Amino acid sequence: MAAGTTIHHHKSGHAQARARRRRSGGKRAGLWHFLSFAAPGTLIYFCLVVLPITLSFGYSLTDQALLRPKTHFVGLRNYELLLRDDTFLQSLRVTTILTLIVVIVPNVLGVAIAVLLDRRGWLYNALRSVFFTPMVISSVVISVIWTRILADDGPINQALRALGVSEPPGWLSDPDIALYSLSSIVCWQMLGFCVVVYLAGLQGVPQELAEAAAIDGAGPVRRFWSVTWPLLAPALTINTVVLLISAFKIFDHVKVITNGGPGTGTTASVALVILNEGFVENRTGYASAEAVVMLIVIALLCVITLRVLQRREVQL
Amino acid sequence: MRSTVPWLRPLVALVVGGVFFIPLYIALINVFKESRQVASGAMSLPIPPTFDNLIRVLTSPDSLFWSSLRTSVLVTSLSIVILTLLSAMLGHYLARQNTWWSRVIMVLLLCGLMIPPQVILIPITQVLKALGLMSTLQGLVLFNVGYYVPFGVFVFSGFMKGVPRELEEAAAIDGATRWQTFWKIVFPLLRPATASVLIFLGVWIWNDFLNPLIIYGPREGTTIMTGIYKSLGQYAADFGGMFALMFLATLPILVFYLLLQKQFVKGLTGGATKG
Repeated sequence: MAAGTTIHHHKSGHAQARARRRRSGGKRAGLWHFLSFAAPGTLIYFCLVVLPITLSFGYSLTDQALLRPKTHFVGLRNYELLLRDDTFLQSLRVTTILTLIVVIVPNVLGVAIAVLLDRRGWLYNALRSVFFTPMVISSVVISVIWTRILADDGPINQALRALGVSEPPGWLSDPDIALYSLSSIVCWQMLGFCVVVYLAGLQGVPQELAEAAAIDGAGPVRRFWSVTWPLLAPALTINTVVLLISAFKIFDHVKVITNGGPGTGTTASVALVILNEGFVENRTGYASAEAVVMLIVIALLCVITLRVLQRREVQL
Repeated sequence: MRSTVPWLRPLVALVVGGVFFIPLYIALINVFKESRQVASGAMSLPIPPTFDNLIRVLTSPDSLFWSSLRTSVLVTSLSIVILTLLSAMLGHYLARQNTWWSRVIMVLLLCGLMIPPQVILIPITQVLKALGLMSTLQGLVLFNVGYYVPFGVFVFSGFMKGVPRELEEAAAIDGATRWQTFWKIVFPLLRPATASVLIFLGVWIWNDFLNPLIIYGPREGTTIMTGIYKSLGQYAADFGGMFALMFLATLPILVFYLLLQKQFVKGLTGGATKG
């Protein structure tokens, strides 16, 4: 084992610790240290995440399915079929639209609300908690609440009828609108997260900078764009990456609110399609190919976003 | 720099917060309304309030609430305790060791932070089947531990940077073993990190829907969130009952969050000033 190298790699200046390690038996102690501290967590992680991912890649090259007695290696055929699979392509379109909305809207509203709430006092503390509450509530509960509110005869449409709108929109029943309603619900739930992260970012903006800009004659808008916004770059990075990942893997809301409908697949996200394919149709090989595509897309999106956004971050 | 209209900011903040809160307000008042009141004026206050909905859910003959509450409490508490212990140890190990394989483990764990469960659920069910743990509570806990360990390690190893190495060396000179040093000296110092790991993972695991749905399965019962999903049909005509069930399912985790939040905020500021 690498216990010997452990000792040599250690930065100098830890002579006593090194001596103790040698006294307690060098290599054996290092191995024991690994086994007692690192092995349990690492082993479970490998069995339940690293091994399954490897298996996913493997399955995606086979025609594995519950009802098929023998599984064959089919090479890249599943991936070829994916390129012509309307259900899958549609789900990519749906997920892309949803992700775009969910990355942009809570970011924009979040920074505005954070600037609004960036004051001391009980009122602002209370409002901060109000905005964060949906983050602590299960997406199942959030979904059921909104399903009720946006129902054809729900509170919103009742209010619209009372205002004289004779045929209010079917927020969740109209195939042209449902995806946007669904995205808005996700935005509402994620907004609090963005607010809290931007508020934390605003705490790090030195008051003197804004004051100096004010003395130089910059108005509030100019001060925000030239001083505050550039310094919020790390907050933007965190929010964008978290929203991106959460939106792209969206499942709970879709499952509970629309289950992919109305119509065929108008709100079916990639995650919903993969799970239907894998656990309802039981075509696990094909579903694994879809999962691999999803993983690659998420990884690429994350890497690109991080590259682009971290370049903006300035050091004070 | 002061605004010329001092009441404008609180007023706008109040209105924006109020509009944002409307859905939660509707959900909350519906808990205390009779079902026919719910169907009519959705925004009106529940006067007089009724506790029938809560009682109906708490005393329903299938005891769905109580059995799924028990499952959720068990799964969540077991998962977060095991996760805290394992990821604190692993985080400490990886933060203090500087070998090529500890760096490899770290990179693999960081990759795990962005992997959506959907991507690995199909093979996971097969791994759990092979271990004989599919559709069991232990299987779900094991999955939670494996899936969330990267987050725990990420928080703990980050926090370890603020814990002086000399402390551990001093303990070693005094003859303490690594095990004693970690649990008696280092772990108590990691309290803020522990609080944030407990809060985040507690909320995520309690509120989780997809993984219990697939892994725990219907045979052995449900966690509280899959329970809500499965009883949607049963409560289709009983909005009051539905909202009461959701209220009762959210209450425990909300209380847990509020209790730990203070600890968490305190810890954050404490850690920051210590530098």
